[in-house]
Amino acid sequence: MKKHVNLLSLVLVMIMAATMLNGCGKEATPTVNSSAAPSSIAPEEPDTIKALLPPISNQFIERLDKVQAAFHKQYPNLTLVIEAASWNDRIEKLDTQVNAGTPPDIAFLGSELIAKYVNMGVAMNITKYATADMISDYDAAPLKYMKNGDGLYGLPAYMEIHGIGGNKEYMEAAGIDWKKIQTKGWTFEEFDAAVKKGAGVKGANSTSKYGLVFATAGTTTKNFIEIFAKNAGMPSEFNSDIKYVYTSKKFLNVLTSASKLIADGANMNATAGERWNLFLTGQTMFTGKGLATFESSAKANNAKLKAKDGSAVAGSVPVDYVVMPVPTSNGASPAYYSVVDGYVTFRGKTAPTEVHMKNVVKASYFLASGENAAQTNADLFAVNITKTARDAESKYPIEREADNLASVKYLMANAAPARPEIPSDKQAKGTKIMDEVIIPKFQALLAKEISPQTMYDAVYEAAVAAFGKDGIVKD
Amino acid sequence: MKKGNGGITVRQKHSAYAKEDNIWGYLFISMAVIVFCVFTMYPIVNACIISMQKYNPIQSKWVGLDNYNGLLTDKLFFKSIRNTVVYTVLTVPVNIAISFILAILIFPFKKWMQTTFKAIYYLPAVASGVSLSVVWLWIYSSLPSGLFNQLIGIFGLESQNWLGQSKTAMFSLVLMSWLSSHGTNVIIYIAALLGIPKDHFEAAEIDSATFFQKVHYIVLPMVKPTTLFLFVTGIISSFQVFMNAYLMTAGGPDNNTTMVGLLIFNNAFKYSEFGKASAQALILAVAIAVISLLQFKFMGDEIEY
Repeated sequence: MKKHVNLLSLVLVMIMAATMLNGCGKEATPTVNSSAAPSSIAPEEPDTIKALLPPISNQFIERLDKVQAAFHKQYPNLTLVIEAASWNDRIEKLDTQVNAGTPPDIAFLGSELIAKYVNMGVAMNITKYATADMISDYDAAPLKYMKNGDGLYGLPAYMEIHGIGGNKEYMEAAGIDWKKIQTKGWTFEEFDAAVKKGAGVKGANSTSKYGLVFATAGTTTKNFIEIFAKNAGMPSEFNSDIKYVYTSKKFLNVLTSASKLIADGANMNATAGERWNLFLTGQTMFTGKGLATFESSAKANNAKLKAKDGSAVAGSVPVDYVVMPVPTSNGASPAYYSVVDGYVTFRGKTAPTEVHMKNVVKASYFLASGENAAQTNADLFAVNITKTARDAESKYPIEREADNLASVKYLMANAAPARPEIPSDKQAKGTKIMDEVIIPKFQALLAKEISPQTMYDAVYEAAVAAFGKDGIVKD
Repeated sequence: MKKGNGGITVRQKHSAYAKEDNIWGYLFISMAVIVFCVFTMYPIVNACIISMQKYNPIQSKWVGLDNYNGLLTDKLFFKSIRNTVVYTVLTVPVNIAISFILAILIFPFKKWMQTTFKAIYYLPAVASGVSLSVVWLWIYSSLPSGLFNQLIGIFGLESQNWLGQSKTAMFSLVLMSWLSSHGTNVIIYIAALLGIPKDHFEAAEIDSATFFQKVHYIVLPMVKPTTLFLFVTGIISSFQVFMNAYLMTAGGPDNNTTMVGLLIFNNAFKYSEFGKASAQALILAVAIAVISLLQFKFMGDEIEY
């Protein structure tokens, strides 16, 4: 009896211990994927492509099943398996899978992260697998962002330009010629003068409290640096000689500009949520950064207010969102900060087969072009960057102000160019300086704890340590 | 020697039973040992190996002690150690003191009332850390509508950027710990108080001891083992603090709230420098072990568990 009790207890303990190994199992259905042994598969044999995607638009997640079904219909031998991730944890999820040696075949990422994965050796070069038709479908500028060196590491989904958002009513009340600025740009001095005028402007339903609210709390801290530095004569972290540019006095001017805006009444401490809330409640004339999709969000809130819908933002008033360019400084030409997000391709520890790589490219192209892209970009108010998406966009019309559309076209025409020739290891060092020096010091600058000169000196010192005295710009 | 059935002595019979019991004993602990080896020892050994490599998921490169040497000149690493020590010094003793005071206050109540208070104080431990951080972010909002700013506004003070200024960022994280980390400690202290023999208090009553004298001469010495345990575990968990800094300040401003745990996370998952991160983690582990040993040596001389 005692033996039976002991045996039963032992079995129960083993079951409990085995449950801890639950998460360690491999896929139930063996499929050919990027981490499988490189056995050759015929082009028409079944293949599975795994993609890790965030909710690219609010409606995208709802369409996932349809997207997968449509892909399977177009390629009956291929199955697209989409793993959904949140915006917050998609990088951690991806990195965990990358470091385990089994990344997804495709992940939706910003193009600025391609260098990191190229450096790790896990980004998959699809240059020879993307057909000429696929390549010619894309606009040249966004496609270049998906390159690193001579390799193409994915296909772009959209190109978004970061700007400033303006409250039309307040700008008109303050006498600002926003229509002209939308397509001609403006200097920092003009922008600063507008910000000064922006506090205390009376509208029909509200009075502005701030001239500018710029989100710099948490992960948004680097937005200001990135978008203003580009338009201050530093369109990239590295110049044409691949020297680090944030050691230039132009960068010191950007930092001084930030201090000036704060002194002139701008709120530079808000989070992204607070920034948008303050705009919708009519408390600020300008908001930064501004994205095209904000126009959609403002219109949606206006509609709710009109319908007396209780889900409208509490305390909000009807606002007309105006796309405004980031001002230029240092006499520089505009070089607007472009964000190109797209479907980046990966490989695991075991090299994928040629056929599998072609299939991965087919899946990337399916997601990043045609109707899929047109529908997603319509959700985001983003301009389509492929011919096939532009052909399909009439099916997904968006109500957009003509002035804003004209401004977006102006911004895209003057977007900062991609720099795929910058070596990935230098980009990695630049990223580290941004994260460990520039962002923390900028937070202290915004809190008025250090001066622009102190911050500049710290960046200079870090840049010399990383790139050597010959690797930096010296004015 | 008394013989049992079949010519087997009693001693032999007992020895056979003991051996059989031993086998069962080993079988039962083998599960725990296997789980420990797979989920604890193997990662530690792997971390030691990775700490001597420039890690790459495709092919790592052996670099020996380079990662450790690099830490000797890493200003941010030393700053993170300093921040972590400051956080620990400010939170652990204060949290233990607050927990002790709460336990003393709850102890005289009837059992059902004690249980109610224990549950209330334990609730933050049950809530998701992420949810708590989101709520605290609203409390610490830099806008005048933030809760703390509204409170100080009543006294005519200006709104503060609690998480964005060096002078208030660390204090904000510490205050968050002071106000929400007592559940476990209170429960442990109450259990310790229940273990104090009542006759000690009766004797003190006879000697007309005041409340504070009873606490000083009876309670504190009797709960010393518990206090040592809470100090050791408090310092271990405080040295590994990560979530608060990650969610609320991201280590800023100017790296003044970058803790060692957050730095390890950034090096591993932001920069993919797993070798460096592993080296930092191992140094942290050794530091925690040394501090724990010192605590047992200086505070635990008279204590037996």
